[in-house]
Parts: sequence; structure tokens; C-alpha cells
Amino acid sequence: MAIKTKENLRNFCIVAHIDHGKSTLADRLMEYTGQVAERDMEDQLLDSMDLEKERGITIKLTPVRMAYKAKDGNEYIFNLIDTPGHVDFTYEVSRSLAACEGAILIVDATQGIEAQTLANCYLALDNNLEIVPVINKIDLASARPDETAQEIEDVIGLDGSDAPRVSAKNGINIDQVLEKIVELVPPPKGDDDAPLKALIFDSYYDNFKGVICFVRIVDGTVSAGMKIKTFMGEKQFDVTEVGTFNPGLIPKKTLSAGEVGYIAASIKSIEDIAVGDTITTTTNPAPQPLPGYKKVQPVVFSGIYPLDGSKFNDLKEALLKLKLNDASLTFEPDNSAALGFGFRCGFLGLLHMEIIQERIEREFDIDIITTAPSVSYHVFKTDGEMLIVDNPSKFPDVSYIDYAEEPVITANIFTPPEYVGAIMELCQEKRGTFTDMTYLDSKRVRLNYTLPLNEIIFDFFDGLKSRTRGYASFDYELSGYVKSNLVKLDMLLNGDLCDALSLIVHKDKAYPRGRALAERLKDVIPRQLFEIPIQAAVGGKVIARETVKAMRKDVLAKCYGGDITRKKKLLEKQKEGKKKMRQLGSVEIPSEAFMSILKIDSST
Amino acid sequence: MSGIYVHIPFCKSKCTYCDFASYPKEIGKADLYFACLYKEIKSRAESLKGYVFDTVYFGGGTPSFVHEKYIIGALRQIKNFYTLSDDCEITLEVNPGTLSAEKVKAYKKIGVNRFSVGLQSADDGMLKRLNRIHNRQDFLLATDLLKGENLSVDVMIGLENQTENDVKATIDLAEQGGAKHISCYALKPEEGTPMFGKYLNGDLPSEDETADLYDFARKYLEEKGYHRYEVSNFAKDGFKSRHNLNYWNRGEYVGFGVAASSFIGERRFTNTEKIDEYTACILRGRVAEIFTENIEGDEREFEFIMLNLRKDEGFTFSEFTKRFNVDFTEKYKEKIKRVQKYIDVTSEGIKIKPEYIYVQNTIIIYFMD
Repeated sequence: MAIKTKENLRNFCIVAHIDHGKSTLADRLMEYTGQVAERDMEDQLLDSMDLEKERGITIKLTPVRMAYKAKDGNEYIFNLIDTPGHVDFTYEVSRSLAACEGAILIVDATQGIEAQTLANCYLALDNNLEIVPVINKIDLASARPDETAQEIEDVIGLDGSDAPRVSAKNGINIDQVLEKIVELVPPPKGDDDAPLKALIFDSYYDNFKGVICFVRIVDGTVSAGMKIKTFMGEKQFDVTEVGTFNPGLIPKKTLSAGEVGYIAASIKSIEDIAVGDTITTTTNPAPQPLPGYKKVQPVVFSGIYPLDGSKFNDLKEALLKLKLNDASLTFEPDNSAALGFGFRCGFLGLLHMEIIQERIEREFDIDIITTAPSVSYHVFKTDGEMLIVDNPSKFPDVSYIDYAEEPVITANIFTPPEYVGAIMELCQEKRGTFTDMTYLDSKRVRLNYTLPLNEIIFDFFDGLKSRTRGYASFDYELSGYVKSNLVKLDMLLNGDLCDALSLIVHKDKAYPRGRALAERLKDVIPRQLFEIPIQAAVGGKVIARETVKAMRKDVLAKCYGGDITRKKKLLEKQKEGKKKMRQLGSVEIPSEAFMSILKIDSST
Repeated sequence: MSGIYVHIPFCKSKCTYCDFASYPKEIGKADLYFACLYKEIKSRAESLKGYVFDTVYFGGGTPSFVHEKYIIGALRQIKNFYTLSDDCEITLEVNPGTLSAEKVKAYKKIGVNRFSVGLQSADDGMLKRLNRIHNRQDFLLATDLLKGENLSVDVMIGLENQTENDVKATIDLAEQGGAKHISCYALKPEEGTPMFGKYLNGDLPSEDETADLYDFARKYLEEKGYHRYEVSNFAKDGFKSRHNLNYWNRGEYVGFGVAASSFIGERRFTNTEKIDEYTACILRGRVAEIFTENIEGDEREFEFIMLNLRKDEGFTFSEFTKRFNVDFTEKYKEKIKRVQKYIDVTSEGIKIKPEYIYVQNTIIIYFMD
């Protein structure tokens, strides 16, 4: 099945709005090309992490290689590179797009083009990819394929009339998609004899082989035994194995220009491989790296602490391992008066944060406490010094602050016109500034707002979805910093400041947030032997107060017939529950308390 | 001190809160059950040679529901094979509505000298909702039959729509019936009981409301001369339950019958809850234990602490040293410090402050490993 020429190679990805059937179509393509016997198929093969399956989203990029015998009689090799489907992962999407020549654009025939589809489609166009539009879900009664085809033409400017109309779910017209790939996606260019240039678009850590780099060979060839280096890193490595994806790793002798595959080179340290970087050889290095490398900038920060302080090193190990697969995760050691030693971590967004949090708990079995997420602020002190503050506990006392700036984003919100009012109201509550509104057609409006990032990271997306019954969608990009009246909101438990609960908030939001947070904490902190006042304070002034009343009884049950064992078991259980709590001074706090801010009413 | 417990797993009808081993529909198995019970009593005799038992307790189910001949037979068997102390406390649980003059006479004749009467509430409507078989009048008839006897009465707190007046009326009725001892339990809705449904529906008083009722009950009982000596037990002077105190003192006891627990020679074991399984085992000459554990090392000390702190008087350091050859204040210095707000420590001993007796689990946990 070795390819004879690059003419028969097709590298492509699939872009789609979440739920529009990306994974299902990928599964069908693999099934159709005989990549996986149908009976062996676990649904949605590409989404390999449990988490992804549970949430129906793709986080990791998992490429797969397929052989397809086309109607022209020739055999083609397809490399399908999957892309993450969430706004948090825009950069990851861009890296995988850079490894392709084409992109299948799936449009749901019942919903039409949505904001995220558009955003990813523009990304694909920016990368000069050939777009293969596919209209999916034609089996549904509410499908309107003709209108969808028209929309593709109107909104994106592609010819939608020729787009395959498929049902990925029922396997209808999948062959048309494969033929379109052959027809529309250009074969890769590239010179086997030029110095090696391989784009790293993803990586993961394998316990035996070290870091596995997912690469697109742009120029040159690579095979085991070669000495390689990256442009951003300093170290050299001996290639131990190269190969392609099936979707498991299939070793090959050589990867040549145009191909998508993996390189293993006993790379032990994650710091040595940056996704987006270029691999070349040490003997005959390419003069320049491939364009497009960006150091990924996290936008949301929170503290992660082991519940059990002695697990600090385990947590460090877990973060290092996760970072191996996730260039966008950042972390550095941190120390909280309340929570002890832990890490200040940076994420691409809240979903990314939740994923990391869940993976630490599930895959590494470490109970952790995550503090409320924060964005990165600029604080200008009266002495002229500027501090970058992403940790509320590092926010200086007001008397030292000249002024502060917070990051803002420009938001693109796409919505049917009837929800414009509701969205404007939401943006208003979130301190947004209206910038523009455009009618794309009679059924679609684009709203542009400038919004503070710290209002977006909590529950803006949920609020948007609930106020528009799911019809609106949005994407955003950071647009800079603006002056803002920021204060630090502190929480006191039983009179003691708990630094891990502090928040940086806009002054206008301090009172409602403080009150809501105190109420929420009152609900999540269990009653203890004594009364616990919960206070919210700004600059030493208490602005809200709640009380967790003292526990009244815990033993009145009858202990019958001398069954002491049962009573002991009940105590054991109570003790286990206690272990899940964090002792702050005299108060015991469940770990979810630290995320309370995420659970308070969105209107605050 | 050591005691004997005998479980009678039969009753007329199941109360809505009951999750004990009691089977109203199985009364047809009584002959077989008691035959096995007698056999089990005999079978343990050899291994318990040398023990002098100070208490015997018939619990259930409703021991007074079954024919008195079974109780007579069981007690006779115990007396035949075990040594009981001269002043042995022999308690029988009885329910109003199941007693007769003949029964009482027979119980007394064989040596029962203490009766524990399940009253629960003085309100007929409430009793009916609990699926109790008796009413207020039945209770008075029963206590009339037991006049002059050493009586204990069970009272429940935390019932649906219960008020302080209801609690007061119940305690008044218990006193009127001649109670020398009152067990005052807060209802605990157990999963699998009809009561649990009520709990899930939110029909029961809240934790705070129950605690308020309990506080009221405790004060009212004190006014009437019933002094608390353990979390849920109140007695007039000289009428503490020796059988129950033996549990809290971590004394030894042997239990016979289904679901009965034993603690002998640092081994805890519990019989199966199922009548058929129990009889099958015993008939084949085997034990009916479904659970056994040897208590070792510090766990012995923890059990002692956990049990003794249920009592208002706590325990003395000399008793602790006598049992374990350990200086309590030295070994548990750090732990004592952590809960010092909630306990009273004197040169003699340690006890939980009266106002914290009801939240003692949370305090006791600090003494676990």
C-alpha cells in the first residue's frame, strides 16, 4: 500500500460546529475505507479520551491514515487530522490546519452555518486550504439541504450546489465525500531532497518511546537513526522510530515530504518540544523554520493544590505529563496561606481548565482543590512599577495602586434577530461596550461587543446559550487592556482571611458578587461544632455576611443490640468525608467551595 | 460485667421506621426458630465457661408478641447452661397490645425483672401513622399489668408534625405508666423503610427542629427526675439499664438469635439477619455468623473511647490504664488538645461537655487513628 507519488496523497481535516457530526463523519470515512471493521468500531473512534466521549467534544488531535480506491481506478492515501471543536482551542485548530491541504466543512442541514463553523472555516481559508463543503443530517425531517446549500454560497462564498448531501449517522452518500476529497483537495507539494522541515502539530507522551511528535513533513524525509533538532529547542535527538496512524502507531521506514505521521526520538523532557515548532536535521538543517509558530498564551489562571499536601510531587508529575500533550497548559509553583503548596496554572479557557482538573483527578488519582479562575491584570503602582497580576492574593493594597487595567476581548456573536435584545442585556450586565451590529441576512445577525475578559470566563457562554435557547454562538479574541476600577474581594471564614477565595472584581460588581459568594459558601460549607461567620470584604470593609450555624446533633440514632461494628463503620464514613475537606484554621471546607464563584447566579 | 442478648425476630406488624430484623409474616417458623435458638444457646456454653452474666436482654421484634412459652424456654435454657449473677438484670421488651395478665405472670415467674415498653408517642394519630399496633389506652392497660415493676419506656423524637406539647404529653404518659427509665430516641429514617420516603419528601422535622424538640425533652425529663446518663437514656436514681451500660463500658456480651451481635474475648461477631439462613446453619451444627472481626491494638482503645464518651460521666483514666496499661492523657495529648473546647478533663477522667453530647460523633472522630 506504499504510495507511489505524492499525487495520490490527500491531507485534510474536518471543521464543524460542535454537534454537527464531525466525529460521526470521521468514523464513517474510516469504516468506508475499511480502516476499521464495523463490528470492531467503538462509536466515534477519534475521540479517544473518555472525557471527550462523555462531553461529545474533541480535545486531542488524533490523526488517522486511510487507503481509498477511487472511481478513477487509482488508490489514494488519506490523512485525516481531527481538530478540536471548542473556542478554547483555536490555536490547536490552527496548527492542525497548517498540516493539511484541504478541509471538509460540515454544515448541519437542520441548523445551517453557525458562528464556530464560520470561525474555523475562515481559519482554514487563511491557511489556504481547499474547502470541501458537506451537508450533513439529511436524514432528519427538519433538514433543509437546499437552503443550507444556498447559505454556504451566501455566507462563505463557496459553491454549495455541488456539496455532498449526507447522513453520517446512517452512512448515506459517504462515497461522494471521498470522491470530493480526491477531486478538490490538492496533493501536497514538497521536496524529498530538500533539508527536513517537519511541522509539529501535536504530541503526546508514551512511557516507552518518550514524546511522540505528530508531524507533517513539509520538505525532506525522516527515518530512524537520523539526528534531529527543533528550531525553538536546543537539544538534539536520535530518531528511534517513524510511522503513520492507523489510528494506532504503525512504524514505517521513512516519512517523506507531504506525509503526515509521527516521530519518536527518545525525547524525555517535555520542555524540548513545542507544538507549532519545526523539526529539522542536525547534519543538513533547513535555513528557516516553518511560519506560524506562536507561543501559546494562557488567558485564564487558577491555583491547583493537592488536597493532601504530601501529594505535591505527584501533582507536579501529573502536570508535567499533561503538559506533554498540551502545549497550552502552563504552571509554576505557588504557595497559598490557606492551601499550602500548589501550582498557579494557566489555561486557554474554562473548558480547558475543567478538562485538566478532571484529568488530574481521574488519570492520576490525585484529589485537588482548584481556586476560582482569574485573568491577568496590569496593575500600575504609584511608584511607576507595573505588575502583572493573575493571582488575587498578589493584588497590591489599594494605597499602592495608581490605576489598573484589565484585558478585554472583542466578541463576535451570531444570533437570530429575535434574541438581539436578550443578548444586549446580557452584554450590558457583563460590562460590555457595543461596537457593531450587522444583518448577515434576514435570519442572522452579528453583534460585536467589547467585553472584559473576566466577565466572559465565568458563565457568559452558558448565559448566552440559555438566553437564546441555544441559537446564538460566539467567538472572541483578546483585543488588549483597558483601564478599570478593580478591587480585591476577600472572603473571611470565622474571622480569618482565606486567600484562596479572594477575587479581583470590578468595583461595581464587588457587592453583588460578595453577597452571592457568601450565600453560596454558606450552602457548601457543612455545619460544624461551632458557628462560622462568612464575610465578604473589600479593603478591610465587610460588605456581606452569612453564617453557617453550629451543628445540633449527630448521634441520636439507636445503637441496637450491641452492633458496635456498624457504628464504627458510620464513623469511618464520616471520617472519610472529613478527609475530603480542607482544614483552614479551625474551619473545614469542602474542595468545591473554592469553585463557588463559578456557581453563583450569572446576573451578578 | 458481661451480658446476654436474645433476639426475637417476630412482631405483629412492621413499624414504618423499623429496619431491624423482624418479620411479621414469619411467625409460622417460631417453633423451628426457637428450637434453633435453644441449640445455639447450648452450643456456646462450653466456650463461655467461667463467665458470670449480670444481664439478660430479650429484644426484637416484639418478644411479648410470641407465646410466653418460648421466652420461658429460652431463659430456662440460659439458666441451665450459663451462670447468672444473683442480682442479674433480666429485661424483656414488650409492646402494648401484645400483653396479657398470664404472660406477665409467666415472665415474672421465670425471672424477668425489668420491662421495656415501646410507647413512642402518646398521640393516637401519630402512632397510627407509624403503623404501631397500640394506642394510648393500650399503653395504660399494659402498664397497669406491669404495675410496680422496673419499667423502661421508649419515646421517639422527630416524628412528623411533632410539637413540644406532643413530646411533653408522651413523657407525661410514660411517667404516669410508672416509667423508671426512659429511652428517648431521635428518629433516624433508614433507607428501605417507608419512613425514608417521608424523609425524602421533606415531611419530617428538620435537623434543627428535631434538635430543639430533643433539647426540650431532655430538660423536661430532667425536671421530672429522669437524669441523662447516656446520649439517649434517662433514668431515675438507681434505675440505669445495666445491660446497655455494659455496651458503653465495652464489656463483653454474647448474642443469640438472628442479627444478634457478640463481643467476647476481643472478637466481635454478628449472626445472619435471615431466619432461614440462621436455622439452616444451626441445624447443621454450625455457627450462623456472617461477620467476625478481631479487635486489635489501638482499635480497642478507640472503641473504648467511642463507647464510653456516649455516657454523661465519660470514663476515668484509671479505668483506661487498667484496661490497656496505657496513660491516656499522655498518649492522646495531641488529640485531647484538638477537642478541648468540647470536653471536660479533670485529674480523674474525661467526658464530653453536656451541651456537646449530641454532636459527639464529630468529636470522637478526632480520636480515630
